[in-house]
Amino acid sequence: MSDNTVQKISEEDLVARLRTRDNAAVSLLYDMYSATLYGVILQIVKTEEIAEDVLQEAFVKIWRSFDSYDAQKGRLFTWMINICRNLAIDKIRSKEFRMKVSTDSITPANQAEFTSNTFNPDHIGVREVVEKLSPDQQKIINLMYFEGLTQSEISEEYNIPLGTVKTRARSAVKMLSKLFKGSV
Amino acid sequence: MSNEEYLASGVLELYAAGGLTQTERMEVEQRAAASPEIRAALDEACAAMESYAALHAVTPRPSLKNRILSQIESETPTEQTFTSEKGNNVVPFSAPHTEEASPYKWMFAASIVLFLISGMLSYNFYTKWQQAEERLAAVSASEQLMAQNVQNTSLRTQQLQEAISILRDPSYQPVTLEGVAAHPGANMIVYWNSQKQEVYIDEIKLPVAPAGMQYQLWALDDGNPVDAGMIPLEAEKTAGLLKMKPIKSAQAFAVTLEPAGGSVNPTLEQLMVMGKVKA
Repeated sequence: MSDNTVQKISEEDLVARLRTRDNAAVSLLYDMYSATLYGVILQIVKTEEIAEDVLQEAFVKIWRSFDSYDAQKGRLFTWMINICRNLAIDKIRSKEFRMKVSTDSITPANQAEFTSNTFNPDHIGVREVVEKLSPDQQKIINLMYFEGLTQSEISEEYNIPLGTVKTRARSAVKMLSKLFKGSV
Repeated sequence: MSNEEYLASGVLELYAAGGLTQTERMEVEQRAAASPEIRAALDEACAAMESYAALHAVTPRPSLKNRILSQIESETPTEQTFTSEKGNNVVPFSAPHTEEASPYKWMFAASIVLFLISGMLSYNFYTKWQQAEERLAAVSASEQLMAQNVQNTSLRTQQLQEAISILRDPSYQPVTLEGVAAHPGANMIVYWNSQKQEVYIDEIKLPVAPAGMQYQLWALDDGNPVDAGMIPLEAEKTAGLLKMKPIKSAQAFAVTLEPAGGSVNPTLEQLMVMGKVKA
């Protein structure tokens, strides 16, 4: 666990250094965010081999298109996670992926280990948080965040009125916000 | 929509949770850039999801970092080419799909070209085939005509040979039938072989028979008329001699006009030509 030794600098400084095409800043960026980004990618693509490829692709993309990151529009992490999620979702929707998964199918046991909370001793655990959300809220949030479905896709596929999908997503995010604010 | 309404609509939370489409996300980013109030609310929602994501954090294998950093380093000299992506905040969702489809596009285009070429060739061959068919039909029609002419000619030749063999044979006795007083222009020749009992007629010069009427040849034997057969209409058109019914003995031949099909006894009022057999 290298988290404790990670050198942390402010988001503004990091962005400024990346704008000057400072290669060393990429190393910092990686240390600060790779575990979270990788965890989300892994949730989406389910296999480590593919998750590593997607993370690599994502970092290359972040580096290449860093000029297009507009701090006015949102946080750095939000921009990066959007890139990672897009790549990961594209991957699971590609033919190549569907063929690969059908050959070496994923066991539920495999998936379970990704939700381990051992890496985040500072934060409240997954189970604790998840227990605060209703099963409906969890389902909506996970479908959106980890399966890459939009609100209308969820509404159609799971036959839930669009308004209900919106309400559940909103209340889930509000609940998460409250939980994390309280814990920090 | 006012800021309050916008905040209450839940769209920021949907953005944070990843439930919006690319277009909807860009709208949210525009509003956030324009309003600090919305930006703050968006950051709060995104921070909540970020913390949620952090709960799922997994440290990748240490070797991955070197792999990624060395690829980025190797790409650094070409950085200038990527500045053109400015303004494209997030990578378009569908980009990999269009790349994936491009070989199919080529194949599709190629198949259209092949289809057009084969269509043109088919049309070309079809017209050529049609022309060949027409020519073949014309040729076979003219060949048929030629064959018919040859057949007609050989038939005529055969008739003429028959006629000549009869004319040369002294056992056939020619009998000239002259027109009676009422028909001075009419005449005809009968060749009669009394041993073989054969009768032929030739050089028929009779007026055209009225409709429903036909000429009939008679042999007069001891004053009794014997039917020697009907003279076919338009008989003068055949080249050869016309064979009539066999006649055993006769002293004269005559032709009368009778109803079509002939009569048992001659209608003497309609006597056309007559001639005596030379003793």
